[in-house]
Amino acid sequence: MIGLIKKDLLMLKGNCKVFIIMLLIYTGLGIYGQADLSFLIPFMSFLMMMTTFNYDAYNKWDAYVVTLPNGRKNSVKAKYLATLILILVASIIVTILSLIIAYSKNNTDYESLLLVILGCTFATVLLEVFMYPAIYKFGVEKARIGVLVIVFAIIFVEEFMRKYIDFYAISKVFDVFNDYIFLALPITMVLSLFISYSISASIYMKKEF
Amino acid sequence: MGDILEVKDLSKRYDDFELKNISFNLPKGMIMGLIGENGAGKTTTIKAILDIIKDYKGNIKIFGLSNRKDDKRIKEDIGVVLDDMFFPEILTPTDINSVMKDTFKNWDSDLYFKYLNDFSLPKSKQVKTFSRGMRKKLEIAVAISHHPKLLILDEPTSGLDPIARNEVIDIFQDFIQNEECSILISSHITTDLEHIADYITFINKGEILLSKTKDELLDNYGIVKCTEKEFKNFDNKDYIRYKKNKYDYEVLVENKKEFNKIYKVSTIDKVTLEDLMVLMIKGVE
Repeated sequence: MIGLIKKDLLMLKGNCKVFIIMLLIYTGLGIYGQADLSFLIPFMSFLMMMTTFNYDAYNKWDAYVVTLPNGRKNSVKAKYLATLILILVASIIVTILSLIIAYSKNNTDYESLLLVILGCTFATVLLEVFMYPAIYKFGVEKARIGVLVIVFAIIFVEEFMRKYIDFYAISKVFDVFNDYIFLALPITMVLSLFISYSISASIYMKKEF
Repeated sequence: MGDILEVKDLSKRYDDFELKNISFNLPKGMIMGLIGENGAGKTTTIKAILDIIKDYKGNIKIFGLSNRKDDKRIKEDIGVVLDDMFFPEILTPTDINSVMKDTFKNWDSDLYFKYLNDFSLPKSKQVKTFSRGMRKKLEIAVAISHHPKLLILDEPTSGLDPIARNEVIDIFQDFIQNEECSILISSHITTDLEHIADYITFINKGEILLSKTKDELLDNYGIVKCTEKEFKNFDNKDYIRYKKNKYDYEVLVENKKEFNKIYKVSTIDKVTLEDLMVLMIKGVE
């Protein structure tokens, strides 16, 4: 499985230069102007991993990988773990740079800063959680379109229902968890990842290439 | 001599195609060539053996183990070249080495880089910059660098020039020097199989038409070229297929000596695998 994780990370080495330049530019903008680096977390992890799915599909990698001794489940596990490694690395880099920016601006509200970064990390994990089973089931292109349709449908329904439902009041219910946010989010991430992985693995185990 | 691969009653149904009761055995130390026209079922058979496709019926044993239950153990000792299925092309051969040494317990980096040198393949260029022939050679190098006991090759020589094909065939012949190893190879290039195969299995429309040793086929089978008048004398139980050409008939017979004893024909040509394929598919029973 380590070989498969390596394969995904090696596929992304060409993008490293671009991300280093982006990080430098946004750090500079953050120090000398206004910039929030947290949006780079999904860019540096999830969206990059999507390109590996594209290359895999183009080269019919899935048919080849099942002939290797890893086993089908480990192929899926490797994809999830490679994504998690990238999310973790991106979050650490963004946290360090954001702290440097905050320090340079005498902004001492580190808790809010970390909360935003944790939120972005959680959102990126959620993308993985929802997208990967769809990718394994329908392929990258259909999954991408499908998820976009679902997201727009949710936004549309939410806008439509706003007249009838007080979403703000509902969100207040979750304020109970505010004190435990730094614990609740990672636990939710792990649980949702486990469920997502189980669904993806069961799809992949039955899939023909 | 035991069998390294046993395929028994392999069946798989698609909407527009069906693989029907495919059975054959590949003994240790032997090369079996799978022949047949496009869409005959060769790749489907290979995919079932490798468990790439699901929901097939029948039993497949490799090294005496079930290809489904013991797949991880089996795949440590199998090398595979599949038509158009490989590593993502943005990787380099060096990247592939890095991945494979953490994939196969017996991965031999020195052997892999030796093959890259022998094939004059660049180590640090992305696979997408390779020609089809270079890519095929890389796939073969990857397939044999973990000292597999069984090679399963789907069209491994397609896209290679005659020199490269020769090099590759030499490698397969070296590989088979170890009598514990075997090769299952599907190819349209029947001349390659005439050089290296010990057994030929001919698949047509999802069924095995014949599975015999190559020598049995090439030594015993023959093609009688005759006039219509001569052809009409032949009893149809004495030939397998015939084809009517513009000026003559070509008649495929299973045992040219026996046939000659009965009919005393002037010429019976030796059969090539290509002749055999054409007559078996295009000929009339």
